[in-house]
Amino acid sequence: MSDSLATVKNSIQEYLETLPKQTFDKLYTQPATCLAALRLLPPVAKQIVMRLLYTQRPVLKADVEAWCFQEHRSDLRDSLKKLAKMNICTETGSEHLQINRIFQENMHNALVGGGTHASFGKPADTQDKYEVDIPFLDRYASEAWEAVLHYLVGTPTEKRPKAVGRLLVASGLQEQDGRSGVTDDERTMITSKGFQFLLLDVNVQVWSLLLQYLELAERQLQMDIVEVLNFLFQVGSLELGQSYSIDPLTDTQKMVLEDLKWFGLFYQRKKKSSRFYPTRMATSLTSGSMIAARKPEEGHGYIIVETNYRIYAYTESPLQIAILSLFVSLQARFQNMVVGLITRDGVRDALAKGITADQIITYLTAHAHPEMRKQSPILPETVVDQIRLWEMERNRLRVSRAYMYNDFPDIQEYKQLSDYAEPFGAILWKNDKKRILVVTEEGHEQVKAFKKRKQAAKGIPGSGGHGRAQASPLPSR
Amino acid sequence: MTSEESINLLAVVIDTNPIAWATAAQDSRCPLDFGRVLEQLLIFINAHLALRFDNELVVIASHTNQSLFLYPPQLSDTDQPPDASSKPANTYKQFFDVNQAVIKTLKDLITESKSPEDVDDKSMLAGSLSLAQTYINRIRRANDPTPLQSRILILSVSPDLPSQYVATMNCIFAAQRVGTRIDVCRFRGKHYGEESVFLPQACHLTGGLYMEIPEAENLLQYLLYAFLPDPYMRSVLCLPEKDQVDFRAACFCHKTVVDVGYVCSVCLSIFCSVSKQCPTCQTQFGGQ
Repeated sequence: MSDSLATVKNSIQEYLETLPKQTFDKLYTQPATCLAALRLLPPVAKQIVMRLLYTQRPVLKADVEAWCFQEHRSDLRDSLKKLAKMNICTETGSEHLQINRIFQENMHNALVGGGTHASFGKPADTQDKYEVDIPFLDRYASEAWEAVLHYLVGTPTEKRPKAVGRLLVASGLQEQDGRSGVTDDERTMITSKGFQFLLLDVNVQVWSLLLQYLELAERQLQMDIVEVLNFLFQVGSLELGQSYSIDPLTDTQKMVLEDLKWFGLFYQRKKKSSRFYPTRMATSLTSGSMIAARKPEEGHGYIIVETNYRIYAYTESPLQIAILSLFVSLQARFQNMVVGLITRDGVRDALAKGITADQIITYLTAHAHPEMRKQSPILPETVVDQIRLWEMERNRLRVSRAYMYNDFPDIQEYKQLSDYAEPFGAILWKNDKKRILVVTEEGHEQVKAFKKRKQAAKGIPGSGGHGRAQASPLPSR
Repeated sequence: MTSEESINLLAVVIDTNPIAWATAAQDSRCPLDFGRVLEQLLIFINAHLALRFDNELVVIASHTNQSLFLYPPQLSDTDQPPDASSKPANTYKQFFDVNQAVIKTLKDLITESKSPEDVDDKSMLAGSLSLAQTYINRIRRANDPTPLQSRILILSVSPDLPSQYVATMNCIFAAQRVGTRIDVCRFRGKHYGEESVFLPQACHLTGGLYMEIPEAENLLQYLLYAFLPDPYMRSVLCLPEKDQVDFRAACFCHKTVVDVGYVCSVCLSIFCSVSKQCPTCQTQFGGQ
């Protein structure tokens, strides 16, 4: 769980760090964003921000360094770098640190609840006639998200919303089906990236799609990225089960709401409705906690793997069956389960699509049946090893750039060169009989210089030519 | 153990003894205004909650005759659950809930208080400490096996109570045993808040921080600097330490603080005068 949490945190941060400084200043005008940004920081950086929050003048950098014990100075420096990248703290002059004024003011507003920004969401004033409860929202969100995954694997369903199709194609999870020659939106195919996506944790899935959405929004939909980000950070601070008014949102943000509704982040009863409910997927966006909407299924794993490579999956969900069929050859389907076999061909097909052995193993482990969880290790070792071996099988060839030395006039010269090059690992391959040496690209200069020296000493003009061998597949040792 | 994985629980014990605050407010040199202190304390509490979405909090008032939870609110059957739509759009939900609950319960507490004649100037520190620890223990069990980092921050202004010496020390030992740090933030003026004997011992034994705040105006900076870092961060950041700790104890017989006393060799009770028999365990001293 903490793994996926870290991944999510990193991916948002990496994205944020690519933004220009001016964008940050605009982002920090919203206290909700300031709060979310603070929570993304490493622990030391959080403390630094809090200490600087109520300082008026720049602080001496040396003083800040002295806050930390000697052995943790590197943590402190990393944190300061992060803060600079997020434009929260800037260096003024060479010796002083200054907290970003805009951030300072709005972080303060967030803490005391001041200002008129309404960035923490305006609850709807009136009682909802069609009020919905939390279990309903959870169900709604998980159905919507499952539907998205269904579109992705191409299960024939009702017409899919445009927003979903657009995002799936833009993120490279699907591509236009070139074979049919129709440029219709409807004809799309899952890509290898899409397959990998299916095996990820839900949290990571949601955030990676959202990051793609941000890029799409900026480039194709001409949205103001600041408004989109502010909105996303805002929903991270909303409360589950509470309806919020749509009025304070800007037009861009209403568009985002409309688009992301299809992914199960929000619930709106009707398109014209003046209120919306954030689902658990939305409210836990910035907290990085597990999206509980899918927890029931994850809690009850459904896969049993036997040492004879047979796999029993207690599921009726077409989506889960579709995912399993990526790397399992299914043999029989019953009312509540499917039976399959992990075969070399099946796994190799999956590997060819870009799925890694690790992803398969993680997926099987994450969805293991409770009975399987009682044993340690959860999956039979033979199966895990074999899946890894099948992956290694594909990696028997290694391509490296190299230089080939041949046509040596005599065996001595060949020997000299090969004895010289061998100790520092410059030789990739050699054949004593045919007097051929294949030297790595890094070693080439050195070997060439040595050869020149030898020839100069002998006074013989270079006869053993060397040709530049095209990067040819060489057997790996 | 890293701070990223464990739950971070902060228990705040506020000394709400009206007499001690009234004395402090009348100080001519640097008056202490409870309202101002509370404002800054609430910002500090919000800051604690702001650091991580899953940071836990409990606030306890240590009053003259009772200790009670300010947050999480104690809902009785007659109370209506707070109306969520009353939350202003400018405030983060969690901050709003905490601040409302603390202020409301404090108001109730003050209006309930009896006339000044009935109120004594003692505060139920030992009771509040036990309350905090029971709560910490509950959270620890509820989240098992996720590790929990807990600390108690005491905001203290009233004088020591030797009558509560044994109870207080027991609380301190309990905290020491489970690894809960006790931090003390004590107000120190010319005419109020004489030096405390027991509280520095609490900090010393549990590895917490003891700080005396000379003026209330800068309270927030002190809080954010010294008391915001969680127990894990204490190993990373340098924080001020109190080098001189007064280890005096209170005698069990008259509850007065003693420099030199007599200790029962069987039950380790402390007395200010010699007696033939230990009043605690009835051991006969002296033999023939």
